[in-house]
Amino acid sequence: MPMKGRYPIRRTLEYLQKGDIVFKNTVKIMTVNYNTHGELSDGARKFVFFNIPQIQYKNPWVQVMMFKNLTPSPFLKFYLDDGDQVLVDVEGKDHKDISQHVKKILGKSEEVLQAEELARMVHSNPANFGPKKYCLRECMCEVEGQVPCPGRIPLPNEMRGKYKAQMKGTEWSSNPENIMASSYPPPFEEQEEVREGFLCPLCLKDLQSFYQLQSHYECEHSGEDRDVKGQLKNLVQKAKKAKDKLLKRDGEDRAESGSHECHECLYNGGVNPYMWEPQELGATRSHLDYFKKHRAARIDHYVIEVNKLIIRLEKLTSFERTNTDAAKIREIFFFFQAIEKSVVSWVNDQDVPFCPDCGNKFNIRNRRHHCRLCGSIMCKKCMENITLPSAYKLTSATKEGMSFLGSPSLSPSSSVQGSRRGSISSMSSVSSVLDEKDDERIRCCRHCMCMLHKREQHMDEKDYAPEIVKFYEKLRMCMEKVDQKAPDYIKMAESLNAGESTYNLSHANGLRLEVQKYYELIDALSKKILMLGMNEEPKPHPKTQQLQRMIRYTATLFVQEKLLGLMSLPTKEKYEEMKEKRKQDQERKLQLEKQALQEAQNKRTEEKPRDRLHVVASTNGEAAQMQKSSMTKVGGWLPSSGAPRNWENSDPLLQQIDNIQSFIQQAREASRVDEVNMLEENLRQLQDEYDQQQTLLAMELSKRAAEEEAVQEEQLQILHEREWEREQQKKTSLQHSRTHYSHSREVKSVQEGVYGKPTLGVGTSDSTQNKISPLSKTQSLRVFQHWPNQENMSPLPQCEREPQLGASAEQHKKPTSSLNPFEDASTPLEDDPSNPFHEEMSKSNGKKDNNPFEEEDEDSKNEVTSVGASNPFEDYGNPFSEPSQNAAKPFTEATSTNPFDMDEDAVDENIIEEELLLQQIDNIRAYIFDAKLSGRIDEVELLSENLRELQRTLQEQKQKRR
Amino acid sequence: MNVTQAVKQYVSKMIESSGPGMKVLVIDKETTSIVSMVYTQSEILQKEVYLFERIDSQSRENMKHLKAICFLRPTKDNVEYLIQELRRPKYSVYFIYFSNVISKSEVKALAEADEQEVVAEVQEFYGDFIAVNPHLFSLNLVGCARGRAWDPALLSRTTHGLTSVLLALKKCPMIRYQHSSDMAKRLAESVKQIITKEYELFDFRKTEVPPLLLIVDRSDDAVTPLLNQWTYQAMVHELLGLNNNRIDLSGVPGVSKELREVVLSAESDDFYANNLYLNFGEIGTNIKNLMEDFQKKKPKGQQKLESIADMKAFVDNYPQFKKMSGTVSKHVTVVGELSRLVSERSLMEVSELEQELACQSDHSSAQQNVRRLLQNPKLSELDAARLVMLYALRYEKHSSNNLPALMEELHRKGVSESYRRMVQAVVEYGGKRVRGTDLINPNDAVAITKQFFKGLKGVENVYTQHQPLLQETLDQLIKGRLKDSQYPYLAPSTLRDRPQDIVVFVIGGATYEEAQSVYSLNRSTPGVRIVLGGTTIHNTKSFLDEVMAATTPGRGAERSQGSGRPASRR
Repeated sequence: MPMKGRYPIRRTLEYLQKGDIVFKNTVKIMTVNYNTHGELSDGARKFVFFNIPQIQYKNPWVQVMMFKNLTPSPFLKFYLDDGDQVLVDVEGKDHKDISQHVKKILGKSEEVLQAEELARMVHSNPANFGPKKYCLRECMCEVEGQVPCPGRIPLPNEMRGKYKAQMKGTEWSSNPENIMASSYPPPFEEQEEVREGFLCPLCLKDLQSFYQLQSHYECEHSGEDRDVKGQLKNLVQKAKKAKDKLLKRDGEDRAESGSHECHECLYNGGVNPYMWEPQELGATRSHLDYFKKHRAARIDHYVIEVNKLIIRLEKLTSFERTNTDAAKIREIFFFFQAIEKSVVSWVNDQDVPFCPDCGNKFNIRNRRHHCRLCGSIMCKKCMENITLPSAYKLTSATKEGMSFLGSPSLSPSSSVQGSRRGSISSMSSVSSVLDEKDDERIRCCRHCMCMLHKREQHMDEKDYAPEIVKFYEKLRMCMEKVDQKAPDYIKMAESLNAGESTYNLSHANGLRLEVQKYYELIDALSKKILMLGMNEEPKPHPKTQQLQRMIRYTATLFVQEKLLGLMSLPTKEKYEEMKEKRKQDQERKLQLEKQALQEAQNKRTEEKPRDRLHVVASTNGEAAQMQKSSMTKVGGWLPSSGAPRNWENSDPLLQQIDNIQSFIQQAREASRVDEVNMLEENLRQLQDEYDQQQTLLAMELSKRAAEEEAVQEEQLQILHEREWEREQQKKTSLQHSRTHYSHSREVKSVQEGVYGKPTLGVGTSDSTQNKISPLSKTQSLRVFQHWPNQENMSPLPQCEREPQLGASAEQHKKPTSSLNPFEDASTPLEDDPSNPFHEEMSKSNGKKDNNPFEEEDEDSKNEVTSVGASNPFEDYGNPFSEPSQNAAKPFTEATSTNPFDMDEDAVDENIIEEELLLQQIDNIRAYIFDAKLSGRIDEVELLSENLRELQRTLQEQKQKRR
Repeated sequence: MNVTQAVKQYVSKMIESSGPGMKVLVIDKETTSIVSMVYTQSEILQKEVYLFERIDSQSRENMKHLKAICFLRPTKDNVEYLIQELRRPKYSVYFIYFSNVISKSEVKALAEADEQEVVAEVQEFYGDFIAVNPHLFSLNLVGCARGRAWDPALLSRTTHGLTSVLLALKKCPMIRYQHSSDMAKRLAESVKQIITKEYELFDFRKTEVPPLLLIVDRSDDAVTPLLNQWTYQAMVHELLGLNNNRIDLSGVPGVSKELREVVLSAESDDFYANNLYLNFGEIGTNIKNLMEDFQKKKPKGQQKLESIADMKAFVDNYPQFKKMSGTVSKHVTVVGELSRLVSERSLMEVSELEQELACQSDHSSAQQNVRRLLQNPKLSELDAARLVMLYALRYEKHSSNNLPALMEELHRKGVSESYRRMVQAVVEYGGKRVRGTDLINPNDAVAITKQFFKGLKGVENVYTQHQPLLQETLDQLIKGRLKDSQYPYLAPSTLRDRPQDIVVFVIGGATYEEAQSVYSLNRSTPGVRIVLGGTTIHNTKSFLDEVMAATTPGRGAERSQGSGRPASRR
């Protein structure tokens, strides 16, 4: 619509909205073929002018394309999502008719449109807001967590513009960064000072951190808190009232419509209680602070008491009694009694006429005894004794801490202050003797004994870690490892089972083994825990046993759940199959692309003879087919051994190949397969580019092809053959696994190809080749002979043309020189292609289905040689094959030592099978254990049957292997 | 609003905050069932909790390598036990969680006992109720009424339980209660009291529509717990007795040893979760499907595992198979037992008559049918008594009420004295004099027309026609039409909006039938979430116990029924 007149946009929009064609969902593309002039196309033109804009506006997801003047008669074509096409002939039709027709056949019906419209407006749609009669919610603010509408609940002051403006005037900018700040009306308007940071909203005290502020608030203002909260509550209440007033009418309204609503609700559907949204943790309240406060007071007291006792004990025990001789004993006794008394003042004898514990009267027979630790008095019966060893033990902890404070001093009142946990800061090492009767002991009262006993126990337990803890820690560590590794493994296994080549099978197998090792470890550890102390005579406490049983049970559960969740890996064979399938799919795609490209190229090289093109086309199709199926390594490599290669210009390619091989090896060792996909992609792009360049060159060269010189031809031919062949090697290494190797044909082609060795490697034997008699040595034919071959090689068809076309002396140089740039272009990228190559190679190496083929190849080789011996073309064959054998050595050695590969593979397979068997046996054992635990005897039998079976198989395997 | 989830979160929070290492869960009698309802053993084992110890058990051993998580109700006894424990700690660290509000003085007492500094945490986690289903909780209290008044101890327990539900769900509700019930009012008041007292605990984010707590009394609807049930959960409870999700199958003839006691938990059993509210017929089909599924998966004993692939497949499928076999055998046993009981006690007939009694109003045919069925020799004492009870409740005030004749019939049938006494007791408990709303006879025009239409439409399932009174009440509540006179608000303010989050509490116990109707209300009403709770979850037997406890003042007192009822109904 032209943008003229009044309201151009509004008018246009109105017009566009009037369109009534809304396509069904299946319509994806619409094309209109029409002519810009002519009677018959008039309706179509008008349709394009008037209706197409409307259609595009109403169907933004349909692609609309117009083709002008391509066909004599106008038509519409629709492409549907299922691949169908709808063709509408519009020749001579009016544009209204056309639109009516289109609407009828492909438009949505009125009913559908209406239904869709309704669905969009449906009540339960939570995105709709409106009167409660129609919508779930009236306003966004009803959603939890949204800011309420200011009309219902006034915003806090600091969120209101007016207030802010006012504040600007008064220059109040103190903003207490506090949780309460947002809801608490700022009371400090008059304050001049600007303060920031974690300010308390009540006393403006600056606190350093949020946590400090919080604790400060809780401690200091918990009383005042009420006022604040009260204010808040008031505010909320007022707001509520106001809101209620506002909503009053609504409420009545709703009551009337209640029943109607509810009836509808039944169909709108509520929520299954099991599906209720996740909720936050319910309310909690911590008493820890309060608890700690009270505990601290208590603990301080307790610790001081204990420390006091220990210090005294220390003093009493630090005396060395070895040098006391009998004569001095009495003297010493009094001396030490004095010391003992100085440690703690003894209670006066007269003050205690009765034993405080048992209440017996003290007399001559029932003598008073003093506690050496606290000085109290008790009778002999109530007295306790601390043996020296235990006394040493109790004090040893403290001694270590104070060994550096050596000097003995007699002052008993030296500081007792220490850390709460008993490391005493300074202490004198006073010598002391004990009672002359039992000098191995220290007398003390029950109370002191009790405290010391507790302390002793505590010390014992501090360092005590029973065996079970050690095992348990190991167990947990294993479990954690499994938790880490198992998901990785499962990911790998899934990927491998899907035939993807992201992960390496052997790597996955390794991981599996590792995980399984952990399972075994877990099993063993838990068994050990279970059996802990079971063999000792006093059986462990039933609770300990229960604990051990539970740990074992948990471990079993864990193993069962996780181990049995471990999916098994595909066997190598199967994996190869799957990989093959997957690769074929990819190849097919790739091939299709290539073909398209090829066609495009063919178009561009139209100046070339038509029949040639034809050949190209036909062989292309075939090649595509061929490449779907597999071609073996040997087939791919055979020609390399039959071609001469000692020329100087082969170096870059040779190098490249060598490089590739080394890369293969490296990559294989490093088992880096992750990048393979990416690299493949790179390689393909590279090849495509290479192809194109080659094609251009080939086109150039083809113009000069007519001036070939016969003399140099032979030599050149060989050179080209080699060049081509090298390329082919590169390619075959890519291809050999996909190109089908037809055995019988191969023999034939070998026979044929004795002369033109390069053909051998292609392994194709289509009619074009048959046409070419090996005897026809004329150059033209020979050139021709290569053509079809090259075409067969289709991924790189053009590149081979070039050497053959450039078959003159000058050209001989030219191609090489012109080749170089490509080489240069490709060398920097060598690293990239190398990996894909490696991948392909390794794939084919690791493939078992190679074996039969390889043997066949071997046969065919023999055949070839035997045939070759009796062959009239032997003369031709020999000169080529002899030098080639030397030259080919690096290749064969590096990559295609087939017989060895085969053996290895076979062995490998056996190993894998055994591994699998072992795995299965392990699994079954776990089941049996489990079944036994839960007492299902029938299952146990069944399982053990299986187990025997497996074991037998394993034995057989082993024997076979020997 | 998911009570199961609430408790589960509490428990996992407790376990998580204690860090790694071997743990022991120290619990008391009630928290045992609270925890066991939401966690299965294997689940909790995975969280490194290996032992469960009762705080009052004497046989606990010193295990300093364990961490103790104590989840206890804050009762005097428990605190005392805990003090003893802390004086001589058996474990290395203690994480103490109380399931309800604990007084400061008790915390102080604990602190002073903790001389060895073994306590690392003291918290209140309000999981003081038994979460049966996401929308159903219970307190497992039977006999909360003494006459028409609360047993004081049980009142405080109920209040605590109910407030802990509110705290766990983070709801600070408005309270409505049933006007006709004094107990409902008392409970409402004491809940309100707690909310006021612990106002800082109840200081949750305000929602636009405040949540609602509705307190009703069982005596208003004595019919529902007397009916036979046909949905899975309700039926299991009615016929086998569901106690903390456990059923005792030891009475089932020929049951294997491992199935003596089975756990039916919707949390861990998919089949059960899916069939909780389906009726018996549907369960039959489902269980058949389950069996067929199982048969397919079942490895055949005679089938030779010839290749490695076979073996591998077998091994791969085995765990699945094993899990399934557990479920299958459990449910097959349960359903088998149910159907055995149904046929043995001819429950189909009984239930049909029950439904007729409950939902229709044809006195003469009802009486005839009851008489006829009482002749049935297969009828158990309980069922016979139950029919007469229903009759008595239904036609209590009917002009031609013929209860004495039916009682005589019962006597002749040889129904024991205790059952016959119960008939009287039920009438007393839930009779017309007690009921605030009329349970059976609709008295307003809307209800009458509704019933009329219902009659016109006919019934889809003769065994499930009955709708509990609670459904009607909730329906009206959701529509905002529940009369203030019948269910007054406790506070002066009233709710103007339609309620969204509702907690219903039934004094005297809820039933699974009510749970089911709450479930379907939840499912069918958008934006409304209802949680049902009761002092317990009743089946007929436990309900009759409740009735007996309520109508006999002083436990075990042998008084005649007539004077047994307290005169005062405040």
